[in-house]
Amino acid sequence: MGVVFALVTGVLFGLGVFQLLRRDLIKSAMGFYILFTAINLFLLAVGAFDGEVAPYVEPTTVNTLAEAVPGGTPSDPLVQALILTAIVISFGSYALLLGMLNVIGKRNKSLNADDLNALKG
Amino acid sequence: MTDNAFLLGPVFAPFAGALVTLLFWGRNRAQRWVMVLAALAALGFALAASATALIEGPQVYRLGGWQPPYGIALVLDGLTAAFLSAAAIVGFAITLYTFGCKDKQMKRSAYAPVAMMQLAALHGTFLTGDIFTFFVFMELMVISSVILVAGADDPLGIEAATKYLFISAMGTLFLLVGVGTAYATFGSLNMADIAQQSAGAGALAGVSVIILTCSFLLKSAAFPFHFWQPDFHTIAPTPIHALLSSVVVKVGVYGLIRLSTLLFPVQADAIQPALIVLGVIGIFFGSLTALRTFNVKRVLAYSTMGQIGFILISIGWGNELALTAAILYSFNHALIKSAMLMMAGWLSSQNKLKSSAIAKSRGLGQKMPLAGALFFTGGLALAGIPPLNGFISKLAVVQGGVAAAESDAAQWLILGLVVGGGILTLLYMVRLWQTIFQQAPDENTAPLKPKGEGDSILAPALLIVLCVGLGLFAQPVVALAQQVAAGLYDTAPYITAVLGG
Repeated sequence: MGVVFALVTGVLFGLGVFQLLRRDLIKSAMGFYILFTAINLFLLAVGAFDGEVAPYVEPTTVNTLAEAVPGGTPSDPLVQALILTAIVISFGSYALLLGMLNVIGKRNKSLNADDLNALKG
Repeated sequence: MTDNAFLLGPVFAPFAGALVTLLFWGRNRAQRWVMVLAALAALGFALAASATALIEGPQVYRLGGWQPPYGIALVLDGLTAAFLSAAAIVGFAITLYTFGCKDKQMKRSAYAPVAMMQLAALHGTFLTGDIFTFFVFMELMVISSVILVAGADDPLGIEAATKYLFISAMGTLFLLVGVGTAYATFGSLNMADIAQQSAGAGALAGVSVIILTCSFLLKSAAFPFHFWQPDFHTIAPTPIHALLSSVVVKVGVYGLIRLSTLLFPVQADAIQPALIVLGVIGIFFGSLTALRTFNVKRVLAYSTMGQIGFILISIGWGNELALTAAILYSFNHALIKSAMLMMAGWLSSQNKLKSSAIAKSRGLGQKMPLAGALFFTGGLALAGIPPLNGFISKLAVVQGGVAAAESDAAQWLILGLVVGGGILTLLYMVRLWQTIFQQAPDENTAPLKPKGEGDSILAPALLIVLCVGLGLFAQPVVALAQQVAAGLYDTAPYITAVLGG
């Protein structure tokens, strides 16, 4: 599982960087989102596969971790919480970015990064 | 250990302010009052909590009562105290400026809540004791700054904001990769917990250090990652520009100091020479570009790049005197730079074209003796002329350099370059002052507005008075900075305060 994740993360990272460097800003924005997905997968791979069952704790008096979670080692719940937060943040940034690109496109009739050079100086 | 509830204040007072300003939608005057009061409350909490931390040692608040390393903790130690109090002072000053600001953007109801969220996020980045929460606050700050700049009066605002969002989101993405790598290595996100384990960590910790360093350098607009900063900062509305160029860039500096003293003191030795080199390039690139830039706000934006260079060099030297210098420099530069930016914004608000281009501001201030004196004092403080507070911080940098050069003769060269770079600051500040306040207006100069239609000068005047005061009575501040720097490499009190004995 780890190898598959490493491969997928690597490919997504490459795709994201390639798209991000395109001159069309919509494509760059998509590259930004792909990059974020790649990093989310990376975060997932960091901790989720150390265990094999859901991190659900039996509400009984317990002494050790193995007693608390019947059926095997629990997987790490923290990385899932991290990814959830990261997805919310990336979604917010992406929506804001697309909104601004919408305004730029309407104003300049172009979304080519080469045409938007009014800030030079 | 008991929780200090004052730590919640600097984050939650502006946050509450954001909610209350939403209730006053469409009532501009009430919103401005709420902003000033919320920022004042945050300043009060920040100063009170910082004073407690400097007297009694690190203060902790465990959110929701969860024990670290499982829960999130707000931690306020000496380093946080220095940065947080600078941020709170500047934050209060910018709300004061907003109160008297005539920009069209300030009349929109959406401005106040977003500006308050930016302030809350800024205070949060300094206070949090957890690297993932640091990332969350940083991203919140990026998003709110982008919204504020995109809505600027200047129609180019949206272009600058898009540029910044792309680049800065890249920075926070890399911060997230760094956080993930640190989690893979240590199985913890709590700074104190990482600090405990980092000394014997393997190669992956080094990777984490490099990624985090790049991300922090991008945030502080240091040399190879600086290209977004002048555009984004110049377009921003005056109060937001004052906050961005003075304290928001210090988040990266704060991160670097935390990284090299608390989180990874062993691994960070490898990045320190790089910081010195980047700092020297930053000083000369920033100052020389500022010399031949034709917009007052842009000159000050490039100047920030140069001044960040001095701080990076101090962090790179890394001895106790140099770290004292880094802390003093960050604090003083935040006050001076925000005051100067508000002066520049005030000047452009006085002319009818509302432009801060130097050609259009020539001789603008000939009949303004008070503004001229304030601008001159601020410029001298930025250049480091005694008896102003800028001199104290430059002197501290030189002392740190002498201490570093005693063990490594090559540092004498760096020290010489630093002193030379300091003179460049004087050159561009004097050039600005002469053109605006000394020369006669010519046919390009924009016409002046009638009296009373521009912004209020109260906020920059207060900050410049504070700069002079901190220069004349520098001893207590220097003593506090020395105390903080002496405690930086001794991480035991921090770890004990967070994780318990």
